[in-house]
Amino acid sequence: MNEAITQEQLAAAAEPSWGGGSEGAAVSKSQSSVLPTSKLPQRPPGLWRTGMSKFRRNPYAVAGLIVLLLFIGLTALAPYIAPYDPARIDLLLADAPPGTGNHLLGTDELGRDIWSRLLYSGRVSLSVGFAVAFVSVLIGTLVGSISGYFGGWIDVILMRFVDVMNAVPLLFLNILILAIFGSKFSYMILVLAFTSWMGVARLVRGTFLQLREMQYVEAARAIGVSNTGIIVRHLLRNATVPIIVTATLMVGGAILSESALSYLGLGIQAPATSWGLMLSNAQEFMLIDPLQALYPGLCILMVVLAVNFVGDGIRDALDPRKQRVVERRGWRAWSRFLRSKT
Amino acid sequence: MTEYLVRRFIQSLIVMFLISIVTFGLIHAAPGGPTQIFLSPGLSQEAAKVQAHNLGLDRPLPLQYVKWLGGLLQGDLGYTFKNHLPVGQILWPTVGHTMVLMGTSWLLSLLIAIPWGIYNSTKAYGWSDQTASFISYVGFAMPTFWFGILLQELFALKLNWLPLSDMWTIDKEGQLGDLLLHLILPVSVLTLGFLAGYVKYARTSMLEVLEQDYIRTARAKGVRESRVIYRHGLRNALIPIITIIGLDLPILVSGAALTENVFNWPGMGRLFVEMALAREYSVLMAITIVTAVLVVIGNFVADLLYALVDPRVQLGRKGGTAA
Amino acid sequence: MEPLLTIKDLTAGFATDNGTVKAIDCVSLSIDRGQTLCLVGESGSGKSVTSLAIMRLLEFAGGRILEGSIRLAGNELTEQTQRQMIRIRGNQMAMIFQEPMSALNPVFTVGDQIAESIRLHQRKRKSEAKVMAVDLLRMVGIPDPETRARQYPHELSGGMCQRVVIAIALACRPELLIADEPTTALDVTVQAQLLDLLQQLQRELGMSMLLITHDMGIAARMADQIAVMYAGVVVEMGSVEALFDQPAHPYTVGLMQSVPSMEGERLSELHTIQGHVPALHAIPAGCRFHPRCPRAMPRCTSEAPPMMAVGPQQQAACWLYDDRASGFAAAPDWDNGEAER
Repeated sequence: MNEAITQEQLAAAAEPSWGGGSEGAAVSKSQSSVLPTSKLPQRPPGLWRTGMSKFRRNPYAVAGLIVLLLFIGLTALAPYIAPYDPARIDLLLADAPPGTGNHLLGTDELGRDIWSRLLYSGRVSLSVGFAVAFVSVLIGTLVGSISGYFGGWIDVILMRFVDVMNAVPLLFLNILILAIFGSKFSYMILVLAFTSWMGVARLVRGTFLQLREMQYVEAARAIGVSNTGIIVRHLLRNATVPIIVTATLMVGGAILSESALSYLGLGIQAPATSWGLMLSNAQEFMLIDPLQALYPGLCILMVVLAVNFVGDGIRDALDPRKQRVVERRGWRAWSRFLRSKT
Repeated sequence: MTEYLVRRFIQSLIVMFLISIVTFGLIHAAPGGPTQIFLSPGLSQEAAKVQAHNLGLDRPLPLQYVKWLGGLLQGDLGYTFKNHLPVGQILWPTVGHTMVLMGTSWLLSLLIAIPWGIYNSTKAYGWSDQTASFISYVGFAMPTFWFGILLQELFALKLNWLPLSDMWTIDKEGQLGDLLLHLILPVSVLTLGFLAGYVKYARTSMLEVLEQDYIRTARAKGVRESRVIYRHGLRNALIPIITIIGLDLPILVSGAALTENVFNWPGMGRLFVEMALAREYSVLMAITIVTAVLVVIGNFVADLLYALVDPRVQLGRKGGTAA
Repeated sequence: MEPLLTIKDLTAGFATDNGTVKAIDCVSLSIDRGQTLCLVGESGSGKSVTSLAIMRLLEFAGGRILEGSIRLAGNELTEQTQRQMIRIRGNQMAMIFQEPMSALNPVFTVGDQIAESIRLHQRKRKSEAKVMAVDLLRMVGIPDPETRARQYPHELSGGMCQRVVIAIALACRPELLIADEPTTALDVTVQAQLLDLLQQLQRELGMSMLLITHDMGIAARMADQIAVMYAGVVVEMGSVEALFDQPAHPYTVGLMQSVPSMEGERLSELHTIQGHVPALHAIPAGCRFHPRCPRAMPRCTSEAPPMMAVGPQQQAACWLYDDRASGFAAAPDWDNGEAER
């Protein structure tokens, strides 16, 4: 497993072992002791291994992971397990209660099977979620790395841009762009990614700024590692953990945004289906079948909750610097995200 | 401090300027764009061309932008495509409606969340804290509009205690009591959403402060614990909280687009969605600009508050002087 | 005369997932009026825990006093409630800490923070307290104290902040000042100034001081008595002359040797004590130091040595001195049965 080179390890490799006190093994000049000397401490277990065991011990994280995998599995297999085509209209069997015929959860006002629609919607929502997170991370990492590593003018301009993006109410922006350019699936992913990369960029830039000053980068340079070498090897590896955590949490945000947009009618359009779209439908026919609104929302809730638990779990397991810094920064993201949901 | 504020003010202006450019650019990039906004409907191609020329739509873009910006600053927001109504006439009433809804929810959530969060920080992991934590997690993950729909189904449909939607019952417009009834459900939805974040943040902020060295110094001085927490600690914890509040000010108007839709509340958010679906670009542009301006003002107010509250910013000089 | 502070068999620790872990075990010390006791040891030796325990601040850091007695001027501190301790802290005894810049509250002026101490314990009016605060700033050597009193901590340098911290601590003329590494975070030159200031103030106020440090040089300069701590226990105690002249416990010897010296030949390596300080939950059996001790004997692995007299002004917890202990009386105020062993 690749581990980030710790400062101690690099320093230990670079200097003769004088040691002194605490952890390192210092060999004393006079070996006249009766008792055995302390052994050299073993290389501590890697970050990933300790992280995995910590994660396993976190009940919420594990539960979240199971639920998430369940959803992914079910929705991925939708074409095989869904009893009906989600767009199949059957007016004879409209508004059927759960259990009628082969309809596990009943049908909606057009006779479409709700269970099948849920499954296919899941495919859409989950793919949007992960795609957005992926693209966001790409954009954000790129911007953040450039900004953080080179600093100066580039940094100032890019960060002003981030500020502007943060200032704009994102839901409005999403709606605006989709209204102007249309609601194609790919557009939606791009738009959502375009309004959520800022967090990652800030994060990556911050990590770069911190690490750039750290001594082991100087040490690496002294040994003769090139600039790109430094970036890729040392810095990115250390930024990886917070990026993973942010990306995971972003999946939930993207799913919520997509369902909001679809609910409003600007996201996924019929005949495709999405949980948000199902909810808008359900509200329209609230008087006839109030239960319909329950299922899609519950799905969203469970998936996002699961993703959040997993993300928190990863963070608790892998990030030694722990929550405080992340939570403070996290407020900005939460606040914006909240606004985009209201 | 003045130097700091002036700097922030200029930055705000630049940001607003940039936003106007971006908005203008977006609208003109729209398929079927500017002609829709400014021309009267139903003209023949010939007449359209003439009118376009008269309105300056065939002039180079930068000039058009300047003209538009000029009009904007004088309060001319353009006209709708359908019915050729002045945008301002449609827009301004909705702003007030949104502020009523958002203002109530936001204030309510702050009044509950901040004391609760601070209390939770003093009794971390107690049952109050666990409850708040639970609400936070659920609030984070739950689609608020779904929650709104469920509330509607329960309280309006099933129990018939509260009205289903809208701001007023048809013949009772303007009556406070009716307004309050209509407010209850949407405010509940919005307050819960805000609450989740604010409680967590207040708690975190306070906890962080309570771990600082100066708290230990206060105890070592012989200050009693309640004073340590509520005087020495709170004063510091409030700084980030207040800044966050400032940053969220724009929410008052940037709207609860989703919630307004769920409850059919005649506010700016609902208007925005309606106009987006109808591809009424002039209105969309106007709302975007108005919102952006308010956001920038809000951020500026946040900076102002922050400068007032944190002595480290107040006095322009930074850092220590000679020993 | 009875010592101002007497600590006997103080044991304190923290609650962890694996039960209560003792951070200090059977620590016994005493400080006479007007005297300075330096508590010396590496990080993790328990010096800070001891000081926090004395101030009864340990509870706020998640710890507890498990056993033992702390008597300050005849008052048993372990039996006081926090409400009672509030009247003692900052009043009869005071404490200053390591990081001066973060020790002061950033949102209150320096003068306010000093005045608060005065108003809490001396019931003075706001205006009077303000004046007294300015006087205190003058006393600790801050120039232009009237202006400084109205400033915020971030406007002061590290050395100045620490002077303010001292001013706060001394505002009510405490009988005992506990200083936990007060100069560690400061420049060497500032260190010297502050230590001088502390000594001067101590003389003027007739105050006792418990000075915690890991720096033997500071101990040599400031101490009347030194107590050396290792892994939660006191391993040696005595007058500064005795300890520096003839360190008894092998750990103390190691510490003395570790101080780089300007005299003598240039060694190729700095002297170190091999091994490392044991973790709190993995304390070695018998004498805690034995895995690192160049003079360890089989007895050391199974029996923990009690404090034994090594000289007229010196005691050490080491089996090396066992045969010398018999018949020799320990320090007169102590009530212990160890002299009989």
